[in-house]
Amino acid sequence: MPTPTLTEDELDATFAALADPTRRAILARLAAGDATVNELAEPFALSLPAISKHLKVLERSGLISRARRAQFRPCHLEPEVLDGAVDWIERNRRIWAERFDQLDRHLRELREPAPGTTEGRPTEGPVTEGPTTEGKQP
Amino acid sequence: MTESTETHQLDITRVFDAPREVVFRCMIEPEHLTHFWGPVGVSTPLANITIEPWAGGRFETIMVNDETGEEYPSRGVFVEVIEPEKLVWTEPSFGITSTSTFTDLGDGRTEVHIHQSDLPEQFATPEAREGFNSSLDRFAAYLATL
Repeated sequence: MPTPTLTEDELDATFAALADPTRRAILARLAAGDATVNELAEPFALSLPAISKHLKVLERSGLISRARRAQFRPCHLEPEVLDGAVDWIERNRRIWAERFDQLDRHLRELREPAPGTTEGRPTEGPVTEGPTTEGKQP
Repeated sequence: MTESTETHQLDITRVFDAPREVVFRCMIEPEHLTHFWGPVGVSTPLANITIEPWAGGRFETIMVNDETGEEYPSRGVFVEVIEPEKLVWTEPSFGITSTSTFTDLGDGRTEVHIHQSDLPEQFATPEAREGFNSSLDRFAAYLATL
């Protein structure tokens, strides 16, 4: 979680860009090599303006870049940005693993409060009915 | 290539040595969540947790980096709450939906399974998926204007 490679906004844009099947297909095509808008439009039953719209979303997310050559402006995949999104998933997996480790510890503590820590701790409220009162042994 | 774009799905399973009701309550009561929600090096103070455990209710947390004080807010909304079996919430800013399932193993232990995806389960039919995709498109269009 700390110091993400991509900022939250960048991730938002990346995931939003990845959420569309046409855009994912465009990225898959670009993984095979740079392509112009016309080449990208070919396999889809979409107008050039519709493809351009998708490309704009991809470009804004940083997932692709476009050459400045005015006439063809071939599109180029920027794999590092995609890696950033994948990193985020890996990080999220780690967060959940650590969360579960701590939940495990917390549950153990609820079951068997460490000696001397039962008093004065912020009350967590009895989680189970009944046994908690019994558990307070003199 | 296509594979890596589909990996923003996460499945994680863990067995806890506690009854299902207890584990479930840990997930929906801030007093419990504060003890484990932040990963290592990150805390989630009680005051930063809002949990309204019903469909449409908020599930909001602000995790705080212990060292730098940097804050990581998360604004979720519950889609489905079936006590003590299932919790589904969505984080609109990421378009990610998390489903946690609590299974009573019958011996006092509980298996928790977390599934995260960009496609809520209730949108799994083709018709519904189309609707969902169009809302994602609207969302993407909105993002593009920011």
